[in-house]
Amino acid sequence: MRFRWLGMVFDIPTMIMTVITAVIVFLFLFFMTRRMHAGVPSGRQNVIEWVFDFVRGIAGNFMDAKTATKFVTLGLTLFIYIFISNQLGVAFNITTHHTGQVSERVLDMLSVSGTPEAEEAKRAVIEEKLAAGEGVEIAWWKSPTATPSVTFALALCVLLYSHYIGIRKSFSGWFKHVFLNPIHILEEFIIKPLTLPLRLFGNIFAGEVLIGFLLAGGVFASIPLFLWEGYSVFVGSIQAFIFLALSMVYISQQANDGH
Amino acid sequence: MLDFGQVTLELGSLLFQVIVFIILLIAVSKFATGPISAMLEKRRQHVENEISAAERSRQEAETLLSEQRRLLDEARNEAKAILDRVTKQAGDEAARIVEEARATAERLKAEAQADLAREVEKAKAELREQVTGLSVLLASKIIEKELDEATQKSSIDQFLKQVGDRL
Repeated sequence: MRFRWLGMVFDIPTMIMTVITAVIVFLFLFFMTRRMHAGVPSGRQNVIEWVFDFVRGIAGNFMDAKTATKFVTLGLTLFIYIFISNQLGVAFNITTHHTGQVSERVLDMLSVSGTPEAEEAKRAVIEEKLAAGEGVEIAWWKSPTATPSVTFALALCVLLYSHYIGIRKSFSGWFKHVFLNPIHILEEFIIKPLTLPLRLFGNIFAGEVLIGFLLAGGVFASIPLFLWEGYSVFVGSIQAFIFLALSMVYISQQANDGH
Repeated sequence: MLDFGQVTLELGSLLFQVIVFIILLIAVSKFATGPISAMLEKRRQHVENEISAAERSRQEAETLLSEQRRLLDEARNEAKAILDRVTKQAGDEAARIVEEARATAERLKAEAQADLAREVEKAKAELREQVTGLSVLLASKIIEKELDEATQKSSIDQFLKQVGDRL
């Protein structure tokens, strides 16, 4: 389900999941940080302090403590956002199945694609499926991070922010670091922007594809499905950690003096 | 938009995600990490204060302890001085009393000796008087017999001398 606005394509389920995840993250953090006191912490304050120290520790691995503290908000939000995103698709998926006749408007939204030719082809395929009684499926609930748009957006935020820090610190220093070495040009404009989001997307998307495959396997696949769900939780946590750690590395490369 | 069938990359969703994430960041910074940082800063200050307060009270205790020790030493010295003084005084007093007693005894002894000597002198004088009287009596008795006063006188003197030597 997509629509076009201002020449850009928007994917409705992705946007819904993005907003849901953001709301969950915010409510979680908001609830966890109520009624904190500076004395001996207890209950949920212990948890949020542990998470806070965890993120600060990762940032502190690459920067001095004072600089690291500035990026804890970004790191904490990134980590929890990605962690919750990854787990959302593991628990369950919601897909709607449409058969028979669908309205012209829905057909338009279903067939939105990059080029008019691709759009035509897609529309033809959907119409064929509907005519054959097979129907079309729309996935409404899935991990936001199983969509490249989301992971590319997060990576873009981190990388642009890191460059912003570098430029603000010293434009000539940033310029020399980024442009005077061909390896660095390759790294900054191709390797980092591709590997950071695609690693996360690939892991989570593959997890969901396999979950979908095992769900189709019925009763016989229940034990592998159970195992794979557990592994997906693990992968989701690890990928959130890796994304956080790499973000902090990239930021530290711009925030630290000398390379 | 890139379309690979199941995998698609939409610019609109991407920008929407960026905006949502930035809004989330601002909200988290305002409502979650802000309070956490404030609380951690408060705790840091609290711990710092506690440490400095502990250090202060430790120093205070040390000062008080040395003060107490000094006072105790002072009191001990004073007690010793008082004891010494009293002992000395008592010794002096005893010596004085003994001395006084000795002096009194001496005085009494001397008085007694003087009395005795006076008594002796008195007795001697009395005796001399009596002897003289007797001598005169004797002499008058003798003169009655032979009136040779001159001879008598010499014999009386001799006699008296003998008496005097014997006394």
